[in-house]
Amino acid sequence: MVDNHDIGLMAHLMRRAGFGAPREELERRAAKGYEATVEELIHPKTTEPADEYTLLRYQPAALLPGGMPPMGNVNWMFHMVNTQRPLEEKMALFWHHVFATGNSKVDNYDQLLAQIAMFRQRGMGNYRDLLVALAKDPAMLYWLDNNENHKDAVNENWGRELLELFSMGQGNYTEKDVRQASRAFTGWTFSVKIPRLPYGRFPWEFEYVAEDHDDGEKEFLGHTGNFNGEDIIDIVVQQPACGHFIARHLYNFFVADEPQVPSWKINLPRDEAAVAALADTFHESGYDIAAMLTTLFTSDFFKEAYFTKVKSPAELVVGTLRLVGGAELPRPDYGRDVALQPTYMGQDLLNPPSVEGWHTGKEWINSGSLMSRINFVAEMVGSTDLPGVQDMIGRLRAKGPLDPDAFVDSCLDLMGPLQVGTDTRQELLEQAREGGSLAWDTADEVEASVVRVGEMLQLIVAMREYQFN
Amino acid sequence: MLTTVIAGRVYDFSHSVGRNAAAGDGFSYPCAIALASQGVMYVVSRGNETNYGSRLTKVFVGEPGEEKVLAEFYRYGSNPGQGLWPNSVALDKQGRVYVSDDWLNRIAVFDADGNFIEQWGTAGAGPGELDGPAGLAFDADDQLYVVDSRNHRVQVFTPDGKYVSGWGSHGSGPDQLDTPWGIHIDTHGGVYVADWKNGRVQKRDRNGQVMMQFGQPGDGPRDLNHPTSVAVDADDDVYVADWGNHKLRIYRPDGDLITSLIGDAQWLSKWGQQSIDANPDMAKMRRRVKSLEPEWRFYYPVAVAFDAERDLIIVADCQRGRLQLYKKDRNYAVPQANL
Repeated sequence: MVDNHDIGLMAHLMRRAGFGAPREELERRAAKGYEATVEELIHPKTTEPADEYTLLRYQPAALLPGGMPPMGNVNWMFHMVNTQRPLEEKMALFWHHVFATGNSKVDNYDQLLAQIAMFRQRGMGNYRDLLVALAKDPAMLYWLDNNENHKDAVNENWGRELLELFSMGQGNYTEKDVRQASRAFTGWTFSVKIPRLPYGRFPWEFEYVAEDHDDGEKEFLGHTGNFNGEDIIDIVVQQPACGHFIARHLYNFFVADEPQVPSWKINLPRDEAAVAALADTFHESGYDIAAMLTTLFTSDFFKEAYFTKVKSPAELVVGTLRLVGGAELPRPDYGRDVALQPTYMGQDLLNPPSVEGWHTGKEWINSGSLMSRINFVAEMVGSTDLPGVQDMIGRLRAKGPLDPDAFVDSCLDLMGPLQVGTDTRQELLEQAREGGSLAWDTADEVEASVVRVGEMLQLIVAMREYQFN
Repeated sequence: MLTTVIAGRVYDFSHSVGRNAAAGDGFSYPCAIALASQGVMYVVSRGNETNYGSRLTKVFVGEPGEEKVLAEFYRYGSNPGQGLWPNSVALDKQGRVYVSDDWLNRIAVFDADGNFIEQWGTAGAGPGELDGPAGLAFDADDQLYVVDSRNHRVQVFTPDGKYVSGWGSHGSGPDQLDTPWGIHIDTHGGVYVADWKNGRVQKRDRNGQVMMQFGQPGDGPRDLNHPTSVAVDADDDVYVADWGNHKLRIYRPDGDLITSLIGDAQWLSKWGQQSIDANPDMAKMRRRVKSLEPEWRFYYPVAVAFDAERDLIIVADCQRGRLQLYKKDRNYAVPQANL
């Protein structure tokens, strides 16, 4: 028997481990059970990814979008809206936050999408293997100049960020370690690609140029040897700092907002025990991200963390689209009208502001972005012809006449279930009372009730509480 | 290989035409071809949301280097004579040009020079209504067959849009369709439909009765991965654009696979060469590439047409913004094997 607590917990899980879910899906998953759902999300073998053939039938330019928006955004948005493997996609978004790589320099959405596809494939696998794949990823090689890292002219950009932003964080290595790591990655580059004229883009491929690799002895984090790049990664992942760093990233993304990454050296985690538990899993499992996610989603610290995170623009947009439905197929101007919505709210997917990624949490919110967020979501939930909104209307109607209290509570329930403060509820209630009870007996009453539901949903998404995940 | 000799047939790569271009000399995601005569054809460009290069190009394609754009019309927009998602094109006996738009759910009609005449089509799922009109083909009686893709059926109209008949329903059964795309009618009245999501091509008679089918979903040699287009030559051999497998499949009339072509554009098209000549850095980088072979190959070949006047197989190579042309060579003398 599924009760409200089960639905609430499942809604929490799906908001975090995915992009939310409509009520029918929540009920189905809750009936299946929490642990079983976590298992299915982490090992999504029986569910389908987004159908890229459908995307390419309607929007062929989404395959090789080149360097100009919005077709790259169209591609990823289509995946996020349509995938039946929400955690797989959420992990691609997570790693895009951590390994932030941007079109501002790469000028090549094709390669950025290839990187996202790699995150999709490896994002819940072994972290060591993920780092090796990342070190060979052409978009990353170009983004951090490792194609300019030569045996006799070392470029430290990739080597530094590998240690500072991708694995351990500041304070856990020396400048000498940066130099030695960088030497180990000399010769890691990409082959010359067929240029874009006249037939469109062709991919870069990773290339190891042995003649350009510094094969000399290196001292790195207390180890000595003729290290190559993979040796460096092997050493990095063994460091306690690495497990802690990845654990904190996962906590920040999935559990509760942490301070911005550059301050982690001086600001301790808000829940050191939780981060330590995740870090322990990291090392005990041999760097298995899936094991960390299992620890995370089945922990009390996760289950008790309702609405402790500000939704990222991607979460807000995709979550809304999956809730209201109707955006499964591309349509003309899908790019500007749909796929670029997170950009308008401050998260230009595939083009983060720097290698540091986005500042998250409350920094998502400013007067401009808040207006964009509310306007978009209000327009969506106010479109009472959309299938997801229709479903909510149908569920309300099935309850029969609803007095203002029941009307408000039912809407809050269907939109989450959402938890709101006393003041917020009072505001919603005042609005509901103006129209009296919701009635469905005559055609006129139905028409009026549908309008009132749309307005109530719009009011709910304009409230402070809706900005939290 | 440039020349494929197999089963008594010879397919010889001729040349390619086009380049990625939002206007003028080239195409933007070409997705359909309709042949007029004497080398004149109409090519649909689907375009994209970066530069809105969708259009219909009337182009002369002669011997290598002789291509020339004759007209452009059906530009991006929703006004009469414009389109948002052009999908296919067909010509009636008078040479009028019919374009399907699978977003606007209408058929636009132009004269041979691209002057707008009329448009028709009503969105919906009832008889005569359209949801995602895709492939178009005229039969010998000048009736227009429209692949009504999201209604998973084929509907027949008079040239001015009056509903005549229809067949097909959604599913994977022998006589069902799932999001079909291209259509072709051979000289005997056989109707071929690219049953896109079912990974097969159906051949039906003019009443819609299934006569045979080619292919099954997959990427093996006898499979099809989301086929998009069909053409039939004067010998009744059948050509299928195996879009998701990046191949052109060629079958005997009885459905037995003859061979598969994978694209052989080993030298640049005329307009492609012009792009390179105007961009010296592109030319320099091309000289540093280890292999240009990926450039030769089809990448989502979406449409195929057979020019019976010249025995030319013409393939719209969607992602590469070009056409690849092969000659079905009937006068090929096979050299001795031991050269």
